[in-house]
Amino acid sequence: MTPYAFLADVLSEKYDVDPDAISPEATLTELGLDSLTIVELLFDVEDEFGIEVPEERASLETLAEAVALVEELLKAKGD
Amino acid sequence: MDDVFDRVFAGESAVQKVQIEANGLRSDMLLSPVDFDPGHLIPKLPGRYMARASKMAVVAAHHALERSGLLLSGVGPAEAGIYIGCGLGGSEELQAHYERYLADPPRRLRAATTPMIMASGPASHISMTYGITGPSVTYSIACVSSAVAIGEAFRAIRHGYLDTVLAGGAEAQLNTGTLAGWRELSVLATEHATGAEASSRPFDTHRTGLVLGEGSVVLVLESESAAQARGAEPLAEIVGYGVSSDAYNLTEPCPVGQACAMRLALEDASLAGERIGYVNAHATGTLLGDRVEAEAIRNTFGSHADKLAVSSTKSVHGHLIGAASALEAALTVRTLQTGRIAPTANLTDPDPECDLDCVPLVGREAPELEYALSNSFAFGGSNATLVLRKAMAS
Repeated sequence: MTPYAFLADVLSEKYDVDPDAISPEATLTELGLDSLTIVELLFDVEDEFGIEVPEERASLETLAEAVALVEELLKAKGD
Repeated sequence: MDDVFDRVFAGESAVQKVQIEANGLRSDMLLSPVDFDPGHLIPKLPGRYMARASKMAVVAAHHALERSGLLLSGVGPAEAGIYIGCGLGGSEELQAHYERYLADPPRRLRAATTPMIMASGPASHISMTYGITGPSVTYSIACVSSAVAIGEAFRAIRHGYLDTVLAGGAEAQLNTGTLAGWRELSVLATEHATGAEASSRPFDTHRTGLVLGEGSVVLVLESESAAQARGAEPLAEIVGYGVSSDAYNLTEPCPVGQACAMRLALEDASLAGERIGYVNAHATGTLLGDRVEAEAIRNTFGSHADKLAVSSTKSVHGHLIGAASALEAALTVRTLQTGRIAPTANLTDPDPECDLDCVPLVGREAPELEYALSNSFAFGGSNATLVLRKAMAS
């Protein structure tokens, strides 16, 4: 599953986000995620892709930014 | 709650044998668990951050608000408070956290663990779910938690700080780690020869200990003027509250401290002991606890103790720890409403050392009943007693 597809899936399934509101440009705040939920979402991403998001990179605004970060970390990992 | 009371009155036991599995070992425990599904009452996202006790509290608060009519009319934002008793908060989440933390290799920890394990979680989630912005406070005092929550809410209303309070308790500690701790205390009941459901036997010669339960009960307390202003029909009246400490022993009860709480509650209600017709006892089914409470009741009431009906409904619903007093206060309300006293179930052979009318086996009609006590006593030597009065016909 691509990072975007995974995020879209998790957001609607686990975090009750309206699937129609999910787009690359949508900010996590617009999607109704508070700071605690964003941290929990990052945990889900780390578990799924076997990566670790450095703390200084953990403040993300949009889904596109989150996808770019995951892809960058996957590349660095060599996957 | 009406249905719950009817079942308690009928002596229908909720105690069952539950298989527990931990560290690869299986064992049976006697528990009074709740088959709980919050359904649509808790949306998915907030539900992710609620421990079981919080979910139960939110659902109990929903029913209380609905039944009182406040859900439809809306609770004024700063006019209502939330006073909840809770012993262990999200203990199952703490257990899951430690399991992940201590695993080899350690597993990822949840960011939500810390706010989920707070004992104050149930009160906080009631506030957030129903938009109640008055004080949301938690009393965590073992088995008297919710008696004190209700008593302090009563005082807050009486002294004019609040007009409306959601008061009660929530407890969900039937997880393996917590149960293992309880088992080591040697206070839990063993299975009775006639079956698991007969194992909670307060005041009975064949008692072997207490049975742990779980759940949440929330009451709506209102000042008389607030209730009248919205045309609410009161179910009962809280007229007195007494609270004391034994300053004696961590786990052993003390008749002096218990009698002190009862006496203070009667004084608070400006009531002579002779006016009381029923005591919903704390009695959990431990030998020492039952006997000390019986002695304390006798010391408090003197010869009137012979005229009192005293029953322990824990014989059917078990001991809900932080939620116990709220359940028992609610059952006492229903007792006064219906004029029916629930029995001490399983009381086939009364302990002669508990020389009171403990309403053995069969509930009874008591249409003249006007005042009742609800007793709660805790590890640590905390004692709390509520005095309730039948609602007067409007």
